[in-house]
Amino acid sequence: MTLRPGSLTFLIIAIAAFGTPGLAHAQAGPKRVTVYIDSVMAADTNEGTDPRLAPMGKKLQGLFGFSTYSLIGHNEGQTDCGKMIAFTLPGGKILHVQPRAIDGDMIAMEIVLFDGTRPMMTTDLKLKNNGTLIVGGPRYEQGMMIISIGASTGGSHPMRAQVGAPAQANTR
Amino acid sequence: MAECGEIGMMLGAFEDSELEPNEMQEVAFHLARCESCTGILADYSTLGRDLRSITAEPSLAGFSSAVIARVDRLPQPVLTRIARYLRRQADSVGSGFAWGGAAAAIAVLTIILMTPYAEQFANRGPHSTTSIAGHEAATAVNQVAEATASEPTMADNDSHADISRLESENHSVAVWSEPRRDTTVIWLPDQP
Repeated sequence: MTLRPGSLTFLIIAIAAFGTPGLAHAQAGPKRVTVYIDSVMAADTNEGTDPRLAPMGKKLQGLFGFSTYSLIGHNEGQTDCGKMIAFTLPGGKILHVQPRAIDGDMIAMEIVLFDGTRPMMTTDLKLKNNGTLIVGGPRYEQGMMIISIGASTGGSHPMRAQVGAPAQANTR
Repeated sequence: MAECGEIGMMLGAFEDSELEPNEMQEVAFHLARCESCTGILADYSTLGRDLRSITAEPSLAGFSSAVIARVDRLPQPVLTRIARYLRRQADSVGSGFAWGGAAAAIAVLTIILMTPYAEQFANRGPHSTTSIAGHEAATAVNQVAEATASEPTMADNDSHADISRLESENHSVAVWSEPRRDTTVIWLPDQP
């Protein structure tokens, strides 16, 4: 059995025509991820929504039934896939975010929330690019703490709070 | 150390790189210390080079085609002709199998390489309005709430997050997605 040169050429052309776009799609994705953390205090003190929370204020109001939403911290940082980034949050909380991979429009990551040194929650998830995960519930001052975690392969996130220079994060 | 007489017999082969590795090493080791043998080797080398330069290589242009033409002109036995015919037919059938195999390989490669597109297309489906776990129906998670990747994910694919594992010491972890707001919420109420 022989594969003639013409057959081989056809095979190469077919693979180049059909395969290259998929291969490029699989390989060309950016590996750098920007993580945005907004820490919000939610309470029933009728003080309204902090204007700095403008992009996500309505979302918070729709999700929860509190009358006060106040931005208590904003952190953001860039990291590469496989490299963990740590954020120090108000109330002694520490958040570790480790992007694992970028799969199409989804960012696979591991998130660990610590209360001091005690891990409160560990989760593996795929977050949509520019998507938001909200972790809430821990008591904070006279209300509750809501942590909005956003991730983007681009340079900005549509839901980030309108703040000045954000707090720094540590990458490992 | 080997004697010059012994080494001298190997110098010609050494020049032509025809010695065994251990012999090559032995000769090279000797040459490093013996000017006499080094001179003989240089003479061998010069002689070989000169001989190669004066020998005219015969031209072989058209030689192979002339031989083939002559072979073709030879009368072929009937059995040989039949065998040749059958071989050609077998080649054609084999070529068919080769085409089939190539087409199958292309199909498999295309499926593998197009999978990312398919997944992306599948993820663009219409947003579902049902959440996996309702706000009121907060999922009480025991000592460790864990879902493995092989199990159905907690959050809807249409929401912004697709949770494959969630562990917490908290007994009352609740997870719900709000597809209309493109948000997934993990609620960790403080323990009383």
